[in-house]
Amino acid sequence: MPGIRFILFTLVTTIVIVLAFTVFQPAAAQDSITLTLAGYAVPREAYGDIIPLFQAYWREQTGQTVNILESYQASGAQSRAVAGGFEADVVALSIEPDITRLVDAGLVSADWKDDNAYQGFAAQSLVVLAVRPENPRGIADWADLAQEGLEVITPDPATSGGAQWNILGAAGAAQRGFIPGYEGGDGVTAFLTALVGNIAVLDRDGRESFLTFERGIGDVAITYENEVYAGLLAGREYSIVYPTSTILIENPIAVVDTYVDLHGTREVAEAFVQFVWSADAQRAFANHGFRPVNPTVRAEVGLVDAESEATEEAPSTVELNPEITFPTVQDQFTIAEFGGWGEARAIYFGEQGLFTQIISQSQGG
Amino acid sequence: MREISPRSPVAIVLIIVVVAYAGLLFIAPLVAILQGAFADGLEPVLAVFTDPRVQHAFQVTLILSLIATAINAVFGLIAAWVLVRGKFRGKKLFDALVDIPFVFSPVIAGYALIVLFGRDGWLAPPIFSIVFALPGILLAKVFVSVPFVIREVQPVLDALTPEQEEAAYTIGATRFTTFRRVILPEIWTALLYGIVLTFARAIGEFGAVSVVSGNIEGYTETATSFVFRALNDRNDVGGYSVSVVLCLISLVILVLMSFLRGRIVRRGN
Amino acid sequence: MTGLPLSYDVGSVKRTQSPTYGVWGLRFVALSYLVLFIVVPLVVIQVQGVRYGLDVFWQSVVRPEALSAITLSVYTSAIMAVINTVAGTLTAYVLVRYKFPGKRLFNTLIDLPFAIPTLVIGVMLVVLYGPQTAIGKFFTSELNFRILFATPGIVMALLFVGYPFVIRTVQPVLLQMDASQSEAAQTIGAGAWTTFRRIIFPAIRPAIVTGALLSFARSLGEFGSVIVVAGNIPMRSQTATVYIYTQVEAGNMQAASSVSMVLLLIAFSITVGVDLLQWRRHA
Repeated sequence: MPGIRFILFTLVTTIVIVLAFTVFQPAAAQDSITLTLAGYAVPREAYGDIIPLFQAYWREQTGQTVNILESYQASGAQSRAVAGGFEADVVALSIEPDITRLVDAGLVSADWKDDNAYQGFAAQSLVVLAVRPENPRGIADWADLAQEGLEVITPDPATSGGAQWNILGAAGAAQRGFIPGYEGGDGVTAFLTALVGNIAVLDRDGRESFLTFERGIGDVAITYENEVYAGLLAGREYSIVYPTSTILIENPIAVVDTYVDLHGTREVAEAFVQFVWSADAQRAFANHGFRPVNPTVRAEVGLVDAESEATEEAPSTVELNPEITFPTVQDQFTIAEFGGWGEARAIYFGEQGLFTQIISQSQGG
Repeated sequence: MREISPRSPVAIVLIIVVVAYAGLLFIAPLVAILQGAFADGLEPVLAVFTDPRVQHAFQVTLILSLIATAINAVFGLIAAWVLVRGKFRGKKLFDALVDIPFVFSPVIAGYALIVLFGRDGWLAPPIFSIVFALPGILLAKVFVSVPFVIREVQPVLDALTPEQEEAAYTIGATRFTTFRRVILPEIWTALLYGIVLTFARAIGEFGAVSVVSGNIEGYTETATSFVFRALNDRNDVGGYSVSVVLCLISLVILVLMSFLRGRIVRRGN
Repeated sequence: MTGLPLSYDVGSVKRTQSPTYGVWGLRFVALSYLVLFIVVPLVVIQVQGVRYGLDVFWQSVVRPEALSAITLSVYTSAIMAVINTVAGTLTAYVLVRYKFPGKRLFNTLIDLPFAIPTLVIGVMLVVLYGPQTAIGKFFTSELNFRILFATPGIVMALLFVGYPFVIRTVQPVLLQMDASQSEAAQTIGAGAWTTFRRIIFPAIRPAIVTGALLSFARSLGEFGSVIVVAGNIPMRSQTATVYIYTQVEAGNMQAASSVSMVLLLIAFSITVGVDLLQWRRHA
């Protein structure tokens, strides 16, 4: 049956090709190892600098070449991808719950942030407001975002971990009484409602959201300090407005235990995570507008903490960009303001969440 | 209807309106993207194509699209044959199903792949990863381009008269030889046209790929994913340059399509 | 019929065979292929959609955001279909009727939307009409009319994607039309418009309808161009395909699947309707 022969031939060829993919891996030299980094959208440039630094460091330490594959997308989506089978070795996400999801999925061990001087946080930032150069609408603080006819840009909390920071920044400021006319519990609801009324576009992640603003949509963008710096460094123009009260963003990083054990990359993955806290990597973060967590580098960029440790002069290959400054805001709070992420998400972003409901209720226009 | 030279002012206006509409819709955006790509001159554009990640993205796109096209060509031809010549219960249903990928949102196709082959999926594979790796992208490309070969070949197969085939049988030709010598030449052009459409669709696939590939730069990133990412990286020149190359590939495909279409119409007459 | 038919009824001879050896083999291969690549994803999505029960399924579909997204998709696709019908019919007529320089090139370019990746279509529109461009700024500041990241942008993207449909269904009918009828009409003094209205239009009407419906169905599922070009406010400027994507990214698989099923149902019933129309014409 010649017809059958032809079909069999095709089937076999197809199977052979498909099997070929099991070995179709990105090019890897003999003494080399591959590490996959799954990041959230915004720090791609920072890691773009950190990765070569780490590769040099690792080669010096072990003589081994490490290839690092990178993927960046919205924090929530990335977290779900890893839980769904994306075999990343290291995850660097925007909010802690996105790592918790992986702990619950059995991929990251529950003690990922223990024994760690930095609580597992790679870098920090602040929720700020970005406006057009010259600030034509005269935005000075959160309260101004409730104005009639203003267009606000912020990402969608459903997909973007970072977007949750933005909304919590606004809610916290109201709760703590820093938004005139919107103090206290009811004030939060009123302010968020007014805010939602002004939202023009809800993008999937922080980067896309800020790019929308850059493309000319909207009068003000709620975003992160580092994101504004990323744009400024790329030659874009806008002014940054620091609210009187805002939330401190802390971005976690963790090793994905299941996958590093599967790939045999535990040693290099853990070294990478440790490296992210080294002075050089932290300086790279600072150069992209992230607030470092390493006390030495914090001192270097002018972020002095009460309990900062003595600074050792670490040899540095990374020059700090003097144009990047990290002003102190009058009132800085953390996720603790809401009793932690569990509480915050339940109150604002869950099925019955305050923000979710406000979005649902806003009809047209 | 006979083709005439336009004489009346109405005719001329009509032609201008029609061409202007097409110009506005097509030419203006094409020109704009060329401008965007070369906004900073030739150097940055060349730099884009020496970037290994871009090269890898094109490799992934072209190779996987070719394989997807091959799969759909072979199996699509068989399916078209069975749907035209076969007689069995449920045939009409299967025939209707062929239209599904045409209207199925590609994002959800990618998601279906994750449900099937993801970590807790129904058919989680033991040996190699399917999702967040190249096989998943291949499957996505196959899915979205299934209907083309089938739908192009079906009417031509349907229109064939049986005499030639029967003549071949009577002189002792096997079914396969009959297929090869008698039927294939008749449907060849339609098959090629379907293949070209399939290839174009496979290359352009983005929705499913963005969900199922993990967007791993330099590994599972396709040309279209790269464009999307480049724009997010504020790498406008990179995004536009790759878009321009994709347009060039499309233009080649277009010329092929036009050539084949011309042959088919002549044949039909 | 989704791919545009290239060959026309040259008299179809229905040929069926009783199963013999090899035929069952072929049949098995063909049906497995179709099952694997079409039925399986369909089933997966349906299962995901109704996994929590039918009432949850219904809830996901009638949620304000979902309904609004579906409505926006239907609405923009409908607008596009109407514009496309007029533009496409005119274009087909001009292509068949008149000689003009560059006609062959023009005829080739018509298929461009079939060849170009939809994401690139979106990118091109942003480059040309985005708010940072001269055109975009003009519209936003002078006319207070936003093109991209709003409904007009979506319609434009859909117009690009759906452009060839009506043209390619009407063209062949016009080509095969017998010239004698319209010439006879002209000899008895009928003007061009009357000739069109009374003789040509009725002949091409089924083709126009087919093309319009096909472009409508195609647009419902359009994603690549819309994702770049549409704003993304739930309830305001989110099409169904973008809504589905957002729900997938947000992990609401049940919601994404339910809306997909609804969209699929609408689009699919249209393509089935078109197929039925064609069958009836062939009969």
